[in-house]
Amino acid sequence: MIELHNVTKVYGTDVTALDRLSFAVEKGEFVFLTGPSGAGKSTLLRLLLRQEVPTEGTLTVGGRELATLSTREVQAYRRSLGVVFQDFKLIPTKTVFDNVAFVMRVLGVPVEQQRRRTYQVLKGVGLQHRALAYPPELSGGEQQRIAIARALVNEPQVVLADEPTGNLDPDLSLEIMDVFRDINAAGTTVLVATHDRALIAHVGRRVLHLESTRGARADA
Amino acid sequence: MRALAYAWQEAVASLARARWTLLLSIATIAVAFAMLGAFRVVSGTVERVAGGWSEAAEVSVYLDDVVTEAEQAAIRQVIDRSGLAAGVTPVSKEQALARFGAEFPELGDVTASLDANPFPASFEVRLSEAGMAGADALAASLAAMPGVADVRFDRQWLSRLIAVITALRTAGWLAALALVLGAATTVVAVVRLSFEARRDEIGIMALVGAPVAFIRGPFVVEGAIQGALGALAALGGLALLGRALSRALGPLAAALGSDAIRPLLWTDIAGLLAGGALVGAAAGLLATWKWDPQGPLAR
Repeated sequence: MIELHNVTKVYGTDVTALDRLSFAVEKGEFVFLTGPSGAGKSTLLRLLLRQEVPTEGTLTVGGRELATLSTREVQAYRRSLGVVFQDFKLIPTKTVFDNVAFVMRVLGVPVEQQRRRTYQVLKGVGLQHRALAYPPELSGGEQQRIAIARALVNEPQVVLADEPTGNLDPDLSLEIMDVFRDINAAGTTVLVATHDRALIAHVGRRVLHLESTRGARADA
Repeated sequence: MRALAYAWQEAVASLARARWTLLLSIATIAVAFAMLGAFRVVSGTVERVAGGWSEAAEVSVYLDDVVTEAEQAAIRQVIDRSGLAAGVTPVSKEQALARFGAEFPELGDVTASLDANPFPASFEVRLSEAGMAGADALAASLAAMPGVADVRFDRQWLSRLIAVITALRTAGWLAALALVLGAATTVVAVVRLSFEARRDEIGIMALVGAPVAFIRGPFVVEGAIQGALGALAALGGLALLGRALSRALGPLAAALGSDAIRPLLWTDIAGLLAGGALVGAAAGLLATWKWDPQGPLAR
């Protein structure tokens, strides 16, 4: 599903964030991406989101080489992903419902179907009763679950999560990880970047450990 | 269609949130388009009046007091054969004197005290529309004929007047264009403010894969709405101004002819509204032009 072959990312002329990184994530896998600060986790996620392109090497997701995508194709590719950020990145001026339904809306999904699917995913994260609230009215844990609902609403094949529990307390973090485990159990490929070893131990899946600019090493 | 409906909803919501900047923008556009509309009215009126004067232009051929009938016939023949005359009126010395007496009755004593009639006989040649172009040549050939004392063609001052009007019209269009560009700059600034205020939201939309049309569209529509509302306000202002001026300048309008003042036509109104919307939309597009949908979030 995700393949990196000798991916190098250099900023400017001499700051190497990733150096000849190669690994593959199979369809339906749950993989943790871990490593110390500065190891390149965020860079790798930016490459996977096609916010940036590799300086060298190839990165393919679902058979598409990301560097060759046009602007329109990049947006279509992003719609095929589910992305969860550490700081949630919810639109504060839209209700919970609108935040979650937005992707379906731009895809032209019929309104009734949008409504049904949005309530379905909100129910999945246990927040259907907050559909009309605005993000600032919610707790951090609730906001992260809304972000997860938004990531899932379009039934993506791949979910990327960047430190999804970074702003949450340990109990909530375990709850969120359980949500990701359920998502994966339904067949979705999940890639979670985190440095929280307790979470990794709790879920117990394959770990890709990034070491500073030296490439990835599979620990499990 | 989906993108347009979304853009419309988002633009209306955004404008409702920023009422004061919206009012500033509308006012600026209204001033620019009011100037444009007023200029169109003035320009149209001046063209109409000058056109009327052009149609009324005539060549006056003054005859010598000792002109013979054969010379008069030859002069008349040249005029008729030129094909430039829409009508010819022979005016005798007596008719000229009577006309002067009628037009200036207070000078009756002066003319009565003269021993002889000082007014020359003449041919008044009213030019056809096509005749305006060849009138100079006709006047020159008539002036060279025996029996002709003088030839006056009042097109010369009219030509100068038209040249002045043309220069003023060019300057007016340039001034109006500058105002419209100024208004567009204001719209760019207002839309840019709105864009900056929503930069994080836009970044999120880009990351979840919103098509570029869904991201830029609301700002383009926002600009178009501002432009159209500004043009509408300008039209309202022009209507009020026109009503006030028609009262104040009624006598002048009557002197120029009852239909001399050219109102804004439906095509002008539609043009101003469409122009306002187009200028606004272009400004909205310009305000978001440098944004890169593939760039890092919230950069």
